[in-house]
Amino acid sequence: MGNIHTHERRQFEKLFDQEEIDCLQQRLAILDAFLQTEQHVTADELTDILKKQGQGFEKPFVEETLELMRRYGFAQKNRFENGQARYEHRHLGDHHDHMICTKCNRIIEFEDSRLENLQQEIARSYGFHMLQHRMEIYGICDRCLKDRMKKMPLTAAKIGERVVIRELTGGSSSRLRLMSMGLRVNDELEVITNYGQGQMVVAAGNQRYVLGRGLARKIIVEPYSQASPSGSKDSAP
Amino acid sequence: MDSRQIRIALTGNPNSGKTTIFNHLTGTRQKVGNWPGVTVEKKEGDIEKFGCQLKIVDLPGTYSLTPFSIEEIVARDYILEDRPDVVIDIIDASNLERSLYLANQLRELDCKVIFALNMADLARSRGYKIDGEKLSELLGVPVVFTVGNKKEGLDELLKTAVEYAESGTGIPESRKVRYSKDIEKAISEVREELESRIGPDFPYNRRWTAVKLLEDDTIIKQRLEKLLGTDSAQVLEKAQQLRDKLADLFHEEPEIVMTDERYGFIAGILKEVVTTSSRRRVDISRNIDLVLTNRFLGFPIFIFFIWAMFQITFTVGAYPMAWLDAGISALSSGVDALLPPGVFESFLLEGVIAGVGSVIIFLPNIVLLFFCIALFEDTGYMARAAFLMDRIMHLIGLHGKSFIPMLMGFGCNVPAIMATRALESRKDRILTVLITPFMSCSARLPVYIVLAGTFFAAYAGTVIFLLYLSGVVVAIVTGRLFRVILLKGEDAPFVMELPPYRLPMLKSLLIHMWDRSKMFLKKMGGVILVGSIIIWVLSAYPKAIDYSVDYGARMDQVHAEYAEKIASAPAAEARKLEEERTARIADLRRAKRIEHAEKSYLGRIGRFVSPVFEPIGMDWRGSVAILTGFVAKEVVVSTMGVLYAAEGDAESDALHRALRNSGMTSLAALSMMVFVLLYLPCLATVAVINRETGTRWMILSVVYTTAIAWLAAFFIYQGGRLLMA
Repeated sequence: MGNIHTHERRQFEKLFDQEEIDCLQQRLAILDAFLQTEQHVTADELTDILKKQGQGFEKPFVEETLELMRRYGFAQKNRFENGQARYEHRHLGDHHDHMICTKCNRIIEFEDSRLENLQQEIARSYGFHMLQHRMEIYGICDRCLKDRMKKMPLTAAKIGERVVIRELTGGSSSRLRLMSMGLRVNDELEVITNYGQGQMVVAAGNQRYVLGRGLARKIIVEPYSQASPSGSKDSAP
Repeated sequence: MDSRQIRIALTGNPNSGKTTIFNHLTGTRQKVGNWPGVTVEKKEGDIEKFGCQLKIVDLPGTYSLTPFSIEEIVARDYILEDRPDVVIDIIDASNLERSLYLANQLRELDCKVIFALNMADLARSRGYKIDGEKLSELLGVPVVFTVGNKKEGLDELLKTAVEYAESGTGIPESRKVRYSKDIEKAISEVREELESRIGPDFPYNRRWTAVKLLEDDTIIKQRLEKLLGTDSAQVLEKAQQLRDKLADLFHEEPEIVMTDERYGFIAGILKEVVTTSSRRRVDISRNIDLVLTNRFLGFPIFIFFIWAMFQITFTVGAYPMAWLDAGISALSSGVDALLPPGVFESFLLEGVIAGVGSVIIFLPNIVLLFFCIALFEDTGYMARAAFLMDRIMHLIGLHGKSFIPMLMGFGCNVPAIMATRALESRKDRILTVLITPFMSCSARLPVYIVLAGTFFAAYAGTVIFLLYLSGVVVAIVTGRLFRVILLKGEDAPFVMELPPYRLPMLKSLLIHMWDRSKMFLKKMGGVILVGSIIIWVLSAYPKAIDYSVDYGARMDQVHAEYAEKIASAPAAEARKLEEERTARIADLRRAKRIEHAEKSYLGRIGRFVSPVFEPIGMDWRGSVAILTGFVAKEVVVSTMGVLYAAEGDAESDALHRALRNSGMTSLAALSMMVFVLLYLPCLATVAVINRETGTRWMILSVVYTTAIAWLAAFFIYQGGRLLMA
């Protein structure tokens, strides 16, 4: 880890120097503290860490420095659920490209020298001096893809097929209505009739329901046999 | 004795057995009315029990108190605004989880709730055992077990309700649904904001109001605006902010999260109170559904049931019809014998008895039809029929549910239009109301029988069947047209629960049947009676008519002539001469009557409007008959009886003969039948349409049906003439 950080620190120094950014020494101190953290930190938390190390910085200054690091690609900013900005440093020396699954948020790292060289080449041909790069491919990972293939709208289920509701899509009022009538995610359904058009009849427990095709299309199900009661539900981070 | 009045509201999921319990509790002492402002049926019953006056109100069956449909709004408003002393929630014990959803919403509302765990026997047979005491303890609510269809537990239920109403306790705060931390925080923030602006007389539970605001309940938001005026803005804004925040936090609408959490709460309760044995019975209803909604079998079976229904209605109905007919004849001859001839007698015989009598003989048909429909409903088959008809109804852009009112339309359009209330979307309702009058009601049948019987003797059955079919086709075309032009469909998400198949109970069948037949009888008592009297007045007056011939003198002349002849003739010939005399007198009388009819007010009106009807092949008599048919279509026949035959009753051969002799062609008869099928619904139907949809739609219906009827008759008559020429 140590030498990666040194490498990053050097790059940072060089870059900030070129850009004639003020208070370089203080900012480098903040960088050091930041590089030593291994999780997402907020500006507040970093200020606290620095204070504990005996270096009192104003929070706005810390925030500004973090923003600078983000702008030059040293840090990544995330806004999680509660809306607070958190920063995470990027391991620039230990370079990987990433594939990020938008469904389960899994990150797959990969490296390919052909890609790296190609990037260098392209930058050169534009007369561009490349300091670093970031390569992120967003998509759906193989695992989620496999799950998704099992999923289908209820309308695609055949007569006699047993399925499990995996997701209710559509507006909140139609979802609420289904829920209050007793059709919810993870409920088991049996298709009683499905003519391939028009309404269909499904059984859930001892109840039977007539569903309009439009609504049935918004109920995402999975065949029963493969599904465990709450099996492949989205595992959010 | 203490005669305190206690108001008890019955609520529960559809198919929870609520109606059965209501019927058993109130018996025949039911009042059916309307909820104010909306067209949802309101049923009430007053009974006396335990020294108290109990007013039992049957709220519409709902799955929740979230205002998706009029029913839910009505049910919630009643509890919120009218504050019944006790609310009894009828819970289908075999489907406890879902039932508890509504039950918990009631608890949140801060009203006194009693749970009636209904159909506990069914639950047991399905392998669930419910610990009522534990449930009562956990939720802080009295729990009574009932078996509605066997009347078990109903007395105890009422007793508990009375005791609970008189006790001061409500649901303890600690037993209510608790949401997760973030939601609870938001609730209390909204509540604080709310409490800082409201007075002590704020009508709703505060926590509940806060919950509803977070759920973005439009109705509660409107109420708040009304109650607080400009002060409401801040509260609403606060709620909106918190909603957004919660939505960000959960990646989900707060109302969905809260629904999930309510179910979570319910799951916890179920774990405590229900023990499930592994024994699982075969679900018979499911197996029946596999057959009755089957792709290939479903439809033929459905057609068979409908066919059987009409068979029963018309063949079995023919017997009581004959009895009624005989009864009416007996009544008229009785009145004839008792009263001295004069205006009053004529009024009673020709106005009241003939008018109402011609309609009342359809009562058996209608009662039987409604009995069959009640049978379909109570067994649960109607919901399947609606499902099967769905694809056909989609041609019009309606759901299968609209088929039910249309089916009833074959009996009487009035209850049929009332039955459209079961439809959720207002546009669907209006559209169904507009096409239902094309269903040939039983009142139109006698017109067909007389005309088709006279002019198409051998093919009468086929002609009548084709008329019924044409009505259905016109309904479909009209539906399609209006759907495209006037009532562009928002295709609302459709979900309906299929009720389990149940053995119908005679009592509830009879109550259903009677409720609807009553509408028919009311129509008779009111509209048709008044209409018959008006027609009688119009046809009987003016008394002083300037006859073209002095009939009195002619008759005297005939009498004198024959008196002479008979006196001089031998005995054998005298009898023959006497018969001749009677016939001539009768001819004169008939001629006088026809002339009277022609010159009466009715005749004058007929002559005035006949130019309109001429292009469709009708003379002034036909025109008058059609005009009077507006009162009730049955009246067409009796008017024809007066105008054409003028002797004997309308159904007799006399009318057939007279019609044939009147110069009416079979083409004109066909044109008239089509006109009667399609033209404006009777007065009672118009009144119902007006009440259910508003004046504008009523006017549209009247104008449209009449225009279609005239055009259809015009094309048939003129087209037929061209073809024959």
